[in-house]
Amino acid sequence: MKLLEKASRIYLLASLLIYLAVGIAFFWIIKFMIYEEVESRLMVEKRDFEAYVRTNDTWTTNSYFVENKIEVVPVFSKFKNEVAFTDTLISNRYEQTADPFRQLTFYTLIGGSPYRVAIRKSMIESYKLIEAISAAMIAFLGLLLVSTFFFHRVLSGKLWEPFYDSLAKIKDFDWTKNKPLEPIRSEITEFNELGDVMEKMASKMQHDYRSLREFAENASHEIQTPLALINARVEQFIQSKDLGEDHTYWIEEIYHAARRMSRLNQGLLLLAKIDNQQFTEQEDLDLSELALNKLKDFEDILRHKDIQLSVQSRGSFRKVMSPALAEILLTNLISNAIRHNHPGGELRLEAGADFVQISNTGNPLKSDPERLFERFKKESTGAESLGLGLAIVKQICDNCDLQISYRYSESIHIIRLQ
Amino acid sequence: MFPNLERTFVKYLFGREMKILVVEDEKGLAESITDYLSREGFVCEVANTFWQADEKISLYQYDCTIVDLTLPDGNGFDIIQTLKKIAAATGIIIISARNTLEDKLKGLEIGSDDYMTKPFHLSELNARVKSLIRRRNFGGNNDMIWKDIRVNLPARKVFICEAETMLSRKEYDLLLYFLSNIDVALTKESIAEHLWGDNMDSADSLDMVYSHIKNLRRKIVEKGGKDYIQSIYGIGYKFTAP
Repeated sequence: MKLLEKASRIYLLASLLIYLAVGIAFFWIIKFMIYEEVESRLMVEKRDFEAYVRTNDTWTTNSYFVENKIEVVPVFSKFKNEVAFTDTLISNRYEQTADPFRQLTFYTLIGGSPYRVAIRKSMIESYKLIEAISAAMIAFLGLLLVSTFFFHRVLSGKLWEPFYDSLAKIKDFDWTKNKPLEPIRSEITEFNELGDVMEKMASKMQHDYRSLREFAENASHEIQTPLALINARVEQFIQSKDLGEDHTYWIEEIYHAARRMSRLNQGLLLLAKIDNQQFTEQEDLDLSELALNKLKDFEDILRHKDIQLSVQSRGSFRKVMSPALAEILLTNLISNAIRHNHPGGELRLEAGADFVQISNTGNPLKSDPERLFERFKKESTGAESLGLGLAIVKQICDNCDLQISYRYSESIHIIRLQ
Repeated sequence: MFPNLERTFVKYLFGREMKILVVEDEKGLAESITDYLSREGFVCEVANTFWQADEKISLYQYDCTIVDLTLPDGNGFDIIQTLKKIAAATGIIIISARNTLEDKLKGLEIGSDDYMTKPFHLSELNARVKSLIRRRNFGGNNDMIWKDIRVNLPARKVFICEAETMLSRKEYDLLLYFLSNIDVALTKESIAEHLWGDNMDSADSLDMVYSHIKNLRRKIVEKGGKDYIQSIYGIGYKFTAP
């Protein structure tokens, strides 16, 4: 739920409750005041009535008018000396309706005999007044509610504008790029503070990212340089004419170890770079076509190992990703499928609209297929295999939202990308 | 054994002495490169720092400059930019431990001719220096002649004892690599890398090197050439006069 919507809902609910309570209270107050008024007038009339009775000691019922009707009834049984107000309905003489009256009942002695006297006063006018006031009040409160609701919406929208602005800027911010976070400025102190904090965090992030990246690169550089030196020295050394057989054996070992280490270093550096998302360039690529092109690079070795290549392309698997990573991904998968193939084996490339599948013949896995994509998991103990190829593949897939799965059936290894 | 040939080989190939500047802060590596290239007949000078390099390129003319990008007191890119301004004819090869695409693109953008990632093979560097000088000085339009082998570079044609010999693409590349590294022991790995690049690092590629060499040797001998390819046990091969 959006902030504005949430605020509006809470505001609407709270206002409705408050206005309802205010309305009810107002209604009761008006009603109470009108009753007070009516009752005080009834009391005045009671005094008038009593004064009249005292002087004349008699009462003639003249009940023609509905208003101010005084009803005098002789009481025989009990004489209760009480004064009570009640609401009552008296039927209208002309219309078949019952009109509301307020009635004051009391007992008095007229000419020595007890009477119950009821003085009534019509409430029609008062009720109409209450109705009119209530209607006006509902209308005004409703108007107030609606207008403040819209005012509040517009105001909140305006007030929160810098916030949404900042949010958009933060969303746009990419710490792998050199561009700093755009400054967030508004007249509101809190948003300015938020902006300052965000800017600081952003520049720290960029700084950390840069230093991490530099460290990885510098470390690699520092390692590659002595390795280059070993390589160069070995190459110079093998130029001497009088090398014995065990000399060449040792040199070969040193040379291999140095090369292995260099490749290992490059592999780990690549993993770190993928981890740090240093491959930010994005392109819409056709992975199936790319795989086909990559296979051309491997023509020699396929011919050499006498591997049967079959390609089945039923569509192009398009994916937006870094072209460098796509190339590494496919190169690793294909060279893996060749390395673990046997001479005279098969390599199959299948592609569809949503997948690329590379399968190859080969010996069954000795280790757990679940751990196939882990770092330094090697099938062969051959010195040529580093155990990083599939780890790099997995890392690239994780980073580019590609699903990779491995299957082995009928002595064919199948790796599927989708 | 062939001191004169070695010393004069560059002069023989290009008609004059070729001067190379090696800008590399790692002294051992700089020494290896200069030793190796001097042995080929190049005249080499070394600059270990940015300022040395800066001074040397403003004082002397070089045919080729090999530049390391990371120097203690400066950036190799700046040297290349200066070089491009004052001596545009100089060929430039970057050697760097950084193998990011951005660095490679930037290097080519500001005018370097080649980019090699450390660690590299000296034989590969040598071949690239020679090919670069050839491109720069003769527009690639000269024949490469050694003994009874003649390679017409623009047409990619090979003549053994003046008889045209059909070589496959890889065999041709292999022959050129050998011709750039006459009388030098080449490791199988450097040959494999030269032919197939970095990606093909497996035992299979070494087998492939073997079979390509066998074919090349057969084709040369068939046309009446001598068996110039000498195997060095455990290490690789050497192209040399028998």
